[in-house]
Amino acid sequence: MSSNTVRMTDVAIVDEPRSTKPAGATDGPATADSGGSGGRRSPSPVFGHPARAREVKDHLARVVMWLAFLLALVPLVWILWTVLSQGYHLLLQSEWWTNSQKGITSRREGGGAVHAIQGTLIQGLTTAVISVPIGVMTAIYLVEYGRGKFAKAVSFMVDILTGIPSIVAGLFIYAVWVTTLGLQRVGFAVCLALVMLMVPVIVRSTEEMLKLVPNELREASYALGVPKWKTIMKVVLPTAFSGIVTGVLLGLARVMGETAPLLILGPYTKAIATDLFGGYMATLPTMINQDRSESLQPAVDRVWAAALTLILLVLLLNIAGRVVARFGSVRK
Amino acid sequence: MKIQRLGLVASVALVGSLALSACGSDNNASGSGSSDTASGSSSNASAADCGPDGGGTLNAEGSSAQKNAIEEAISSFQDKCSGTTVNYNPSGSGAGIKQFIAGQVDFAGSDSALKKTEKDGKIEADEAAKYCGSPAWNLPMVTGPIAVAYNVKGVDKLVLTPEVTANIFNGKITTWNDPAIAKVNSGVTLPSQPIKVFFRSDESGTTENFTKYLKAAAPNAWTAEPGKAWTGKGEGKQKSDGVAGAVKSTEGGITYAEWSYAKDNSLGIAQIDNGAGPVELTGDSVGKAVAAAKPDGEGNDLRLKLDYATKEAGAYPILLVTYEIVCSKGKDAKKAELTKAFLKHFASEETQKSLEEIGYAPLPAEVQAKVETAIGALS
Repeated sequence: MSSNTVRMTDVAIVDEPRSTKPAGATDGPATADSGGSGGRRSPSPVFGHPARAREVKDHLARVVMWLAFLLALVPLVWILWTVLSQGYHLLLQSEWWTNSQKGITSRREGGGAVHAIQGTLIQGLTTAVISVPIGVMTAIYLVEYGRGKFAKAVSFMVDILTGIPSIVAGLFIYAVWVTTLGLQRVGFAVCLALVMLMVPVIVRSTEEMLKLVPNELREASYALGVPKWKTIMKVVLPTAFSGIVTGVLLGLARVMGETAPLLILGPYTKAIATDLFGGYMATLPTMINQDRSESLQPAVDRVWAAALTLILLVLLLNIAGRVVARFGSVRK
Repeated sequence: MKIQRLGLVASVALVGSLALSACGSDNNASGSGSSDTASGSSSNASAADCGPDGGGTLNAEGSSAQKNAIEEAISSFQDKCSGTTVNYNPSGSGAGIKQFIAGQVDFAGSDSALKKTEKDGKIEADEAAKYCGSPAWNLPMVTGPIAVAYNVKGVDKLVLTPEVTANIFNGKITTWNDPAIAKVNSGVTLPSQPIKVFFRSDESGTTENFTKYLKAAAPNAWTAEPGKAWTGKGEGKQKSDGVAGAVKSTEGGITYAEWSYAKDNSLGIAQIDNGAGPVELTGDSVGKAVAAAKPDGEGNDLRLKLDYATKEAGAYPILLVTYEIVCSKGKDAKKAELTKAFLKHFASEETQKSLEEIGYAPLPAEVQAKVETAIGALS
């Protein structure tokens, strides 16, 4: 609406480029039939044609923005297209969703990814079960209770945790779990490393969501004599719930695609494994890594298909996050 | 209310996805057109061949050079012995040995035997023995020949001596009809094409072994130190399929690659003349070179000292032997029994023969007999 008005005035001005009258005092929109492509705009009578310069800048900025957008889009589309075109045909076979890779060699076709999908889901869920309470409670502390030095320290630590490269998290757990405690590399150790990566994500997103809850709600609750803990449980958390769930799902999507700790702590196996505390457990990233350097066609196909499966899995979680965010919010 | 509904939806989704994936199957044996030679013997496999009753899981890690061979052996072993699972992670020889010493795997695969010399204040062999509580044995298991593969139109048979090979790969010989090549290939019409050398641009054990061979067999022509990174001339390509593919598409190209890549790309494979006449690359000729290698360990520790400059008649000298490294007295009785069963299967004539199809050479009979004796002595 408003842009339309501006344009009308602009066009009107264009008609009298050399007028010495102030810009506002034209003959009005009656001259709007002069083409009005929006191409030439408001030359100021005093300063010659600065409008042309502004116009050029405007166009330039627009072109640069679009180019940047397209540039950012290129790798995304490229990756998606390559993975899709190379990996889709294995995903269409039912065997892919029902069988493991046990007994399949790089030269043989067949087998599926169920062992890896299952491993990724189990490890992702275990990670979430551990990190969500820690993360959400930390965020509640920081927003609702935390004052003074301790809260600052906690907040600072979370910042540091956010910056930890995943391989460092993996090596840290390796140092504790294997080198110090002398235990075997198992799925649970992977989960511990992933927890280190997921907790800060959850803390930060939950914190933001809790801060968004209007203070009036809390005050109203207090005014009714409701204790603080009950206010948090019954008023603050439900209000922020959908945002928190979205944050958790996005965090989960992130750790599911994580590879570095898996390479260190979660050796690959081709068989189905469900025991988090004994034996190896396959995951999609390690499945991809296993045949990464292979040049035999069946193995290469499986790598692409596993990559596509992982992308789909993460995509599903992301979509779930959006859906919860959209439909789960408490009506105001 | 809202929360409960969401929680319900979420839990249904999670339980559903778990239930979906939980009905997966490990059984890939039927209808997959397995070419494993051992699958025929599945019916008469006695319990002793499969380790302890009820099967079990073995974890191994190490050399990526033997990945395809051990995968094949694992596949046929699991076909034979249902209930067993063997995992092999090709993370590299060094990583495999480290994990073995750290007690993370049941045996390690390695391109070289455990070192007896000190490195970083540690002696691998002693470290391994300390972990095992008994000496760790190196068992040669997989032999991987390296082919000198070329693509020259009209030349089906090419003989190369170590000097000529070294001079081609260090850029001193630049055309195919160079007198040095013609001298060892009498009767073959060589074109005047330029030679295009392709090498592995990534760090590779293949490069290391090939340069070790050049250094040992032609020390005057090849002066660079052997190593994982290429020091000669030519054009770099990633991985074995990169160099093999480049030679396939480039007339006048030459490279070194694992046998299977040369075979899969149907490239010409040069015969190597170490001084006792040209030797074609076959399972037998490679076996001869392995058999000619001097044993370097005591008793059942079967470390081999390969002689790249061997003048043994009919022995193909450019090869790599990978070992399985095991505790001579296992720490865990059940695991030890299973390890023994698997290695026995791996070393068996049947399995070794099946490896030739995929570009590995079977162990020669005398070495294989020694390996079997050693495996029999594992406890």
